[in-house]
Amino acid sequence: MTPTTPTSSSSPTPSVPFHDEAVMGFGMSVGGQAKVARPTTVEQVADVFAGLRRDGGSLALRGAGCSYGDASNNNHGRVLDLTAMNRILSFDSQTGIAQCEPGVTVRDLWRRSIASGYWPRVVSGTMAVSMGGAAAMNIHGKNNFALGSFGECVRSFELMTPAGEIVKCSRETEPELFHAAISGFGMLGCFTKLEIQTKRVYSGRLRVYGIVARDIEHNLEILEDMCGEADYLVSWVDLQAKGKSLGRGLMHRADQMKPGEDPDGLRYFDPSLQDVPPNLFGVVPKSWLWPGMWCAVHMKQVALVNWLKFRAGFREERHSPYLQTHGAFHFLLDYVPRWHWMTKPGGLIQFQPFIPKNEGARVLRTLIEMCQKSGHVPYLGVLKKHRPDPFLMTHAVDGYSMAMDIAVSKNKSRRESLWRLCQEMAEVVLAAGGRFYYAKDAVLLESSFARVHGDETTKKFRALKEKWDPQRMLQTDLSRRLGV
Amino acid sequence: MSSRSGSCIVVGASSGIGLAIARRLAHLGRKVALLARREGELMAQVALINEALSCEAAFAYVHDVSDVDAAEGLFAKIETELGPVDELHYVAGVMPDIEPDEFDLDKDRQQVIVNMLGCIAWGNAAARRFLERKAGTIVGVSSVAQDRGRIGRPVYNASKAGMDTYLEALRNRLWRHGVRVTTIRPGFVETPMTAGLQLKGAISADSAAERILKATAKQKAIVYVPGKWRLIMTVIRTIPSFVFRKLSI
Repeated sequence: MTPTTPTSSSSPTPSVPFHDEAVMGFGMSVGGQAKVARPTTVEQVADVFAGLRRDGGSLALRGAGCSYGDASNNNHGRVLDLTAMNRILSFDSQTGIAQCEPGVTVRDLWRRSIASGYWPRVVSGTMAVSMGGAAAMNIHGKNNFALGSFGECVRSFELMTPAGEIVKCSRETEPELFHAAISGFGMLGCFTKLEIQTKRVYSGRLRVYGIVARDIEHNLEILEDMCGEADYLVSWVDLQAKGKSLGRGLMHRADQMKPGEDPDGLRYFDPSLQDVPPNLFGVVPKSWLWPGMWCAVHMKQVALVNWLKFRAGFREERHSPYLQTHGAFHFLLDYVPRWHWMTKPGGLIQFQPFIPKNEGARVLRTLIEMCQKSGHVPYLGVLKKHRPDPFLMTHAVDGYSMAMDIAVSKNKSRRESLWRLCQEMAEVVLAAGGRFYYAKDAVLLESSFARVHGDETTKKFRALKEKWDPQRMLQTDLSRRLGV
Repeated sequence: MSSRSGSCIVVGASSGIGLAIARRLAHLGRKVALLARREGELMAQVALINEALSCEAAFAYVHDVSDVDAAEGLFAKIETELGPVDELHYVAGVMPDIEPDEFDLDKDRQQVIVNMLGCIAWGNAAARRFLERKAGTIVGVSSVAQDRGRIGRPVYNASKAGMDTYLEALRNRLWRHGVRVTTIRPGFVETPMTAGLQLKGAISADSAAERILKATAKQKAIVYVPGKWRLIMTVIRTIPSFVFRKLSI
């Protein structure tokens, strides 16, 4: 994004200027104009906070902008974009502990750590995500059932509160704020430094299995069977399939290597060999692929593409296990640059409910059927297994989540009907004791907020907000939508 | 690739091309002495290699190449501990940022010592032994930057040129006695030294190491890595000085 107009003279006068820009969610379906500043130092963040305290107004904290919905948007307000604070301050090759500024991305971290035989404990499907954003949204990866959420690999952090003071938080020193700021979607303060624990790996590669799942029940059965042994489990689900194939898909299981199991994997500790290759078959630039995908979405050929992918799954299963670099396994969203442009001009939303284990099959089946009946069939479904974590506003449950990517139409009534469908689906999920994830959500209503977290937790979070941000400086479109 | 069975020394082995060479040699079943200045990083890399291979293949020796007088003693120590060495890779190098109007003797001295004098110290220590045994391989990683003196980094060019000429002389001295000396001139390679530079078409450090070890096994004299740089540098070398001084390359 290019800075355009400087702010007027009546605005705060921090040492880092605000510029008018279009600020959108990752899904490109929600957002608007905002004044954006990109600090490079903690002092500049403090300056911006001081300006807001003096002059009033609201400020949204934004990392790499990878939240699909409106979690880092502030329509017609101010946005503090932390991507320029992106230094890894230190990395200890003996312990795998990194000290990071909030704008350090998952890519920055793994490129540094893999060279020393460490890999981040929790990574998202795209490596563009920032450390600050990952902590604020308490993101998860394909190993949530085994190692928990991102917050669990944060050892400590420094948080600049809206009052301008830096609070050092860890599980021991400030346990309450530690567990609320992680998962607190940027409502309590700005991370200025995070201490991240990475994990030891003994090869630059993973052993990967492709397993065909016949239907949704089979998918869940595989998750349950394998979760004790596998390191990573994720299933691609064909949400277009109906009848007895409803919820069919392709499960990917990946296991880490033990010492000496993959001597050839030694060379893959070279960061350049972990990057997702830019060309298809070594020749065709992947950045040329999104127009083809756009055609599939807009010419209603997703069912055909999914069928082909599902059939290809049988071949993959026959050739399993195979070896794949950590980067190639994890960062599917980076395989095709600008893939989300295939949903232009309306963009997309991702509806990702978290459903308790005992309700899993019933609720997932119901949701898929609701989508198919309404005509808003997700072009992509991703099923994962989760476990609870100790963070206050967590989305994690002992159960499953299904991320459903749905293209949004520019047509107003169609867009409204999609929002209605999501709200109806949310009802089903909430009635079953499910939760939602603010890095993805774009549709929840204010009335749902307390139902997601429970009255007591909501009260506790609001009390913390009152304590640390009585002026309500930190706001986002999401926080206003949920009435935080 | 390499069919030798003696121990190897890699000087400058805690990151980049040196580390990639050490990893590949260890994977080939060789005993490898990794030499580097940063102790923490070196120890971590040695542990990583040994754990990944599940055997004792890599050995750490903390050494600052600017301590040129220590090379001889350390070479002897490594041979005592790991057995006779028959392959030396000198990969240590520094390339500090230099402003176009900067003439900083401290930075220049550091480059001459690390890039050139260190290579001479280790090259001499190896040459003396290899000549006596009438066998052995010395590999020095120079640079395409040595082919011309350029506006960006005068002393990097000069120190690499000095190293390169030393290796050529060593080659001419030793080849007739069965000792091979290979000069490597890498082009754009992704390493911590080049981090922050926009190098279009850079290859990975591991790919560079693979090419270096292949060329060494084939007993090549001067190798550009990757090979296309031979053509590029041939063109650059032929540009007359009165034209070259007006260019910004």
